[in-house]
Amino acid sequence: MKQSTRGFAAAALLLSSMSIGRAGETVAGRWEGLVQIPDRELKLVIDLAQRDGKAWIGSVIIPGLDVKGAQLADIAVQNSDVSFTIKTPRGLQATLKGNLNSDGTLAGDFVEAGNTAPFVLKKIGPAQVEMPPQSTPISKELEGEWKGEYELYGYPRHVTVKLLNRGSEGAAAELVIVGKKTTNLPVELVTLEGDSLTIDSHGTGTSYEGRFNKDASEIKGIFIQAGIELPLVLRRVK
Amino acid sequence: MKISQHFALFTVLGAANFCQAQSMFRGDAAHSGSYLGPAPRQFHRLKWKFATGNRIVSSPVIDSKRIYFGGDDGNVYAVDAETGRQIWKCTTRGPVSSSPAVANGIVYATSYDGKLYALNSDTGAVKWKFATGGERRFEAKGLHGMQPKTQTIADPFDVFLSSPVIVKNTVYFGSGDGNVYALDAATGEQRWKFTTGDVVHASPAYADGVLFFGSWDSYFYAVDAASGKEKWRFHGGEDPLIHNQVGFQSSPALANGVVYTGCRDSNVYALDAVTGKEKWRCNNELSWVNSSPAIAQGKVFFATSDSSLFRVVEAATGKEVIRQQAKAYMFSSPAVVGDVVFVGVLNGTLEARDVKTGDLLWEFQTEASKQNKGWILTADRKFNAPLLFYSGWRETPIVAVDRQFGIGAIFSSPLIANGAVYFGSTDGFLYALD
Repeated sequence: MKQSTRGFAAAALLLSSMSIGRAGETVAGRWEGLVQIPDRELKLVIDLAQRDGKAWIGSVIIPGLDVKGAQLADIAVQNSDVSFTIKTPRGLQATLKGNLNSDGTLAGDFVEAGNTAPFVLKKIGPAQVEMPPQSTPISKELEGEWKGEYELYGYPRHVTVKLLNRGSEGAAAELVIVGKKTTNLPVELVTLEGDSLTIDSHGTGTSYEGRFNKDASEIKGIFIQAGIELPLVLRRVK
Repeated sequence: MKISQHFALFTVLGAANFCQAQSMFRGDAAHSGSYLGPAPRQFHRLKWKFATGNRIVSSPVIDSKRIYFGGDDGNVYAVDAETGRQIWKCTTRGPVSSSPAVANGIVYATSYDGKLYALNSDTGAVKWKFATGGERRFEAKGLHGMQPKTQTIADPFDVFLSSPVIVKNTVYFGSGDGNVYALDAATGEQRWKFTTGDVVHASPAYADGVLFFGSWDSYFYAVDAASGKEKWRFHGGEDPLIHNQVGFQSSPALANGVVYTGCRDSNVYALDAVTGKEKWRCNNELSWVNSSPAIAQGKVFFATSDSSLFRVVEAATGKEVIRQQAKAYMFSSPAVVGDVVFVGVLNGTLEARDVKTGDLLWEFQTEASKQNKGWILTADRKFNAPLLFYSGWRETPIVAVDRQFGIGAIFSSPLIANGAVYFGSTDGFLYALD
């Protein structure tokens, strides 16, 4: 009796994992369709794939919203249930929860800013998941703390940048601006090409582009904030 | 003691008859924004709504039980205050994005066709028209950080035209041609014009023979109402980078020898009406103050744009009394009636707040706001920025602003009369609530 129960459980587990495997095969690919927002159809192109046949990765294109290759997060595939979250640098955050239907569509609810609308996606081909740009390593001389100042609307803003290498993950940066209040800007990308350093905080629409002068121990560049370009020279903190 | 002091100041101010007339923008020539009661402290019903052909940003005025307002469909309207039935309409050749003023049987209104119209208040027949140098919106290269930054872009948030003010048989108003005009109210003959450096879409306020107004050239002016000669000017903030934190869109209000005005440089200023000297400023951290302050009970009531704050400060010192967070930008000017203050919000909601605490008493949401087509709003009625302002390039921000207006936004400043609240909405309706 016990043996047969165990056998049944094993069979169920096997069937279940086979079903998950099949679902995985079915879910992987490029999906295209519409979200039926009242008075505004939103086109979606979703790419879903499994890395090494295991963890799910994905990206999204939203034509008309300037979204190309934004990463999907929290991807979950369980039997015919599929869910994931879209997070774009400009702050769009939407969750899609759907089901694989017998007609081959993936359909469900698109939830954004507390609003809910139905979506239907059809698979149109193999996945073309776009990977996010990676930070590059920076030279040893750039590592450490840098400070500078710019003026906006008559008030000085004090900028502190801390740069460090993280091995294979490339460089990382802390970007703190102190004006009337202190703002710690999240940095997604740090790149160094030759002596050109770029620090990007996509989500806040802020970036810094500078040229590293090793001899002067300074980075001379522009700070870009909401379309405003301001000269900013960063000097090493000794 | 307080009453006698108040009375003495009334005498000093002369023509600034607070709370007595509601026949021009903000109730009177001093733009107090303070009205006589009663006002609904609780919402009872939609009394009526009047349909027009386009959005309404004009603030209604009342005279002899008639509501007058302008429509962006190009019409000036007279509507029965009790029934909401149209009495007449007069068609101009451009949006009437301002409040009419009524005196001596004549309705005065400005239109985007660049003319001021004087209309028979009984029939809407045109008595005379006065042509300015032409209307235009404030514009600048790279405005608000929009791209391409070397191209001149007209400001989509410059929604109002200057509302006329009538004092002693003279009608005063500003224009997109940068001038403020003084015309004979009976004939339309020009008495004088005063030239500023940019668009004047604020409505001039008047007290003690002096006219006060701000311009988009970053200056606030005091001009002799009889001669048009400058008495003083005050310099607000400048923004050579993206022209965002510059200009007086707010119309001033006067009380007790002090002129109060909002500014796009994010300040509310209190200036000595005689000297122009700054008494205090109240900063709003880069958020525009386009709404006009209301002055009542020794306090200044105003609303902000980006930070969406309803604020009340002491008129004498600028010290904060109330700060309440609203859900969306406010361009509408608060209207104070007894213990209630009303203000429109761009998410399509009219709010009634307690004068002492600023707490929300009730709110009315337009149908367009409830429908929320295109998800302009989040579920909790804030603007859904990621779906609206997803790019700073080309026309995207302009289209986004137009979409914002599509959800029944309330730019109009509420008029309170006979226990009812009247206001317009960008859904094209004039509403009467009681």
